[in-house]
Amino acid sequence: MRGKRRGLQFVIGALAVVGLLISGYLTWVHYAGVAPVCVGGSGGCETVQTSSYATILGVPVAALGLVGYSGLLLSAFLRGEAGVYLGLLVALVGTLFSAYLTYLELFVIHAICEWCVASAALMVAALICTALGAWQLAKAP
Amino acid sequence: MSTRRKSSSSQQSALLRSPRMLLALIVAVAILVAALMVVLSQLGGAGGGSSASREDVGKLYSGIPQNGTTLGKDDAPVTIYLYEDFQCPICGQFSRKTFPEVVERSVRGGKVRVVSEPLTFIGPDSVPAARAALAAGEQDRYWPYAQLLFENQGKENSGYVTDEFLKSQAQDTPGLDVGEWSSDLKRSSVTKQLQAAQARAQSAGVNATPTLIFSGPGGQTKLVGLYDYEQVSQAIAQVD
Repeated sequence: MRGKRRGLQFVIGALAVVGLLISGYLTWVHYAGVAPVCVGGSGGCETVQTSSYATILGVPVAALGLVGYSGLLLSAFLRGEAGVYLGLLVALVGTLFSAYLTYLELFVIHAICEWCVASAALMVAALICTALGAWQLAKAP
Repeated sequence: MSTRRKSSSSQQSALLRSPRMLLALIVAVAILVAALMVVLSQLGGAGGGSSASREDVGKLYSGIPQNGTTLGKDDAPVTIYLYEDFQCPICGQFSRKTFPEVVERSVRGGKVRVVSEPLTFIGPDSVPAARAALAAGEQDRYWPYAQLLFENQGKENSGYVTDEFLKSQAQDTPGLDVGEWSSDLKRSSVTKQLQAAQARAQSAGVNATPTLIFSGPGGQTKLVGLYDYEQVSQAIAQVD
């Protein structure tokens, strides 16, 4: 049981590190004022990054991602229930907000940013892992 | 009193210790936080950013020849045909972020002239927006009017393009006679110009906005989408 928990925590930690790299890159792009490297060269990443939805109260959405993935990473290091519940909370907020951002990309901005799609996929994966962790915890005697 | 308080707090902590209650609490908090972020994001998105003042727009185009939908000197070696839809968000970003630099660094010096081709394929509201800009073009004020349309752009097909909205942009356009603009709006010449722009887009194979076709002594090249000034300037150099 403990081995499984460790394994899940490792996966969550790894997902958080990849998420931190993506959101760190996009935050840097935002403040440096350069165009993000976009797979396929469609310009979709720049369109999304420069849209009016790219910031919330002046804070870049990518920086919010940094906060979220930091919380996820912290949860992977925390022992006991606190880590499991913190991870679940962050992954749930992240997944819900990513779903909204994906909706914006598809139906409002009409441009797809591969980095954002990758981050959304990471959040969904993190949600699955943290939900498994919570389930294991609930099952434990 | 103190025993009652003690028992109620121990009940609370027992509730919190129940995994089901905790999970329900986490889900509720997560939904609340995500909903709050969505609301804040919508507030920012609907605002459309900062709006340019009458002075900013006047300053950008002052001293540059304007003739209908053409901006710049007639003898400029390079012409950019700019296919855009006033409702298109990417065109709006191009107009706000890249275009002022193109005007300052390439058009003002006489190297480039820009011809706008207003398209109307985003939705029915694109038509009155394009007509309004073309009517301003009858007084050679197409460009500042178009700039204001982009600066104050709302969400596509949200119904923001009302008569009042268009009139208010006209009132903010430096040097535009609003009465004359109102009567030009109904002219068949405006309809013909709009139809001609759609036909030119079709024959040039333009199916997305913004599309920039660069034409000069060195040939032709095309950019589709949002580009910064450096990329536009490279395309200019390529055809010069």
